[in-house]
Amino acid sequence: MPLNIVVCLKQIPNPDLQFQIAPDGKDIKRDALNYKLNGADEYALEEAVRLKEKSGGRVIALTAGPKRTEQMLREALAKGADEVTRIAFDEAAAYDVGKVSRLLAAAIRTMPHDLVLTGVQSDDLVNSAAGGLVAGLLGLPHASVVTRVEVKGNGLEVACELEGGLQRLYSVGLPAVLTIQFGANTPRYAPLPAIMKAARQPIKELSPAALGFASWEAVPLPYTFAVRTLSPPAAKGHAEMITGSVDEQAKKLAQFLRDKGFGRR
Amino acid sequence: MTKGSDGGEGLPGDILIFAEHLEGRVAPSTLEVIAVGRELGSRSGAHARVALFGHDVRVLADVLAGTGTEVLLADDPALAEYTPDGYGQAARAVVESANPRLILVAHTSQGYDLAPALAGAMDLPLVTNCLALRFDGERLVATRRLLNEKVQAEVEIASSRPIVATVRPGSVKPAGPAAGGTVTVTPVRVDPSKARTRFLSIERPQVQDIDIAGADIIVSAGRGIQKKENLPLIEEFAKALGGVVGASRPLTDMDWLPKTRQVGQSGKTVRPKLYVACGISGAMQHVAGMKDAGLIVAINTDPSAPIFEVAHVGIVADVLKLLPATLKELKR
Repeated sequence: MPLNIVVCLKQIPNPDLQFQIAPDGKDIKRDALNYKLNGADEYALEEAVRLKEKSGGRVIALTAGPKRTEQMLREALAKGADEVTRIAFDEAAAYDVGKVSRLLAAAIRTMPHDLVLTGVQSDDLVNSAAGGLVAGLLGLPHASVVTRVEVKGNGLEVACELEGGLQRLYSVGLPAVLTIQFGANTPRYAPLPAIMKAARQPIKELSPAALGFASWEAVPLPYTFAVRTLSPPAAKGHAEMITGSVDEQAKKLAQFLRDKGFGRR
Repeated sequence: MTKGSDGGEGLPGDILIFAEHLEGRVAPSTLEVIAVGRELGSRSGAHARVALFGHDVRVLADVLAGTGTEVLLADDPALAEYTPDGYGQAARAVVESANPRLILVAHTSQGYDLAPALAGAMDLPLVTNCLALRFDGERLVATRRLLNEKVQAEVEIASSRPIVATVRPGSVKPAGPAAGGTVTVTPVRVDPSKARTRFLSIERPQVQDIDIAGADIIVSAGRGIQKKENLPLIEEFAKALGGVVGASRPLTDMDWLPKTRQVGQSGKTVRPKLYVACGISGAMQHVAGMKDAGLIVAINTDPSAPIFEVAHVGIVADVLKLLPATLKELKR
């Protein structure tokens, strides 16, 4: 059964970096950040491509973000997406997941979709909300934290991770939305010829008008949302630090562990 | 949509909490969310109520009522097991009839399955993974952590519609016992023929490995060890201390170590006497599983890594250099 799959991707600042707060306190400083494809979305993309390879069909990678996200979309093409679409929503920070999800849902409505995949969370805003919101907005069944997907008959069988290592298995009718967990598969590397080819492939762009909005500011929302302040978190506590050269640190650590009764003498 | 003010600090309407349970037990995170709801309620004059879905779960309803709250019990065979569709239908029905000001759910696998879809389906505002919540007049103010715990955010939402919020587990102490709780049987209509997700089974991890939850000393490795080939160094260090090797999620995802060694929310919760975190940044998902260890030593190259917030002793160093040097010292 060929599947039309839409995979929603997000480009995020590399969370391993240090961050500074912008002077107005409403965002982080963005001038020197490097961006990457969100971790869980890598697994969602890989799952989409594998399902297509097994069942036939097409994969459309979709994002909402500024021009810089084109690099991520080309990566998606190189890794097996057939088509890519950027919702030209230029808000750099996009803190309101409700708004972004409404844009994604509006775009998905314009595409054939048997299955919508996305990562379980974005590592910048850690909302774990976009997948569920999109499912609710589109009126589709869904499952979250998915570690395994199998096509069974006219639907899917999925395993969803719970706390403590348990998995809950469901059957899910199509069309459906799934959020994919880290580690669900092993994402592939893009082969060089595919990267070269992806550089020449078109990127479809969706304007507000294409989604039926007068402007991005005019997207109807049942609420108002604002960032009040960003700040460095107050440290709950801090470790006592062992300083010095590596050899000095090692000596002090070994001594400390012995003093506490650890380590064989 | 908004109900009239009832004497609170400008906050009309109730607080509705969705309870979670698995295999005959109330999820600990539900008691935390009840604590958040009670606190918000007592400050704003709102009434906090708990909705419990299930089948033959009167015992659980009594447990929840033991926190002094009113429990709305919806018992239906179709709700015996959680499914996104079944619980989604039931949740929408309860929200429609209760018309609360605020809906609270724990930010667990099940909670962030239920809450966003509910918000999407009913066109409601949503804020998730909150450490703290408070009302400021008509606005709900949420405290959240972003970017690997390195940035704290306060965001506000205002709406005439019920706001859906999820609360990060471990953010507050669970609600203790209190008098005055009641159980109100509240039938909801769930149409199993409309369910597009069907529960099949619960799957447990295959245990053919040591149980790290029982170990006194755990040396855990994270992405900072860089290569699978460096694992023997961690093993040697663990052995020198008489302990066992644990891991953070990325390592078990890459199959460097079996899933049974994973410490954290989706893995094991451990309370050893000594926990050595080697090249682990300290994401919330990991810290939740080890923060109660007796003595925590953290080694990481990034001085701003959040692991140093929970560790008792910290060393900014490359674990691949520090461990061999420390082993030499320990063998002296």
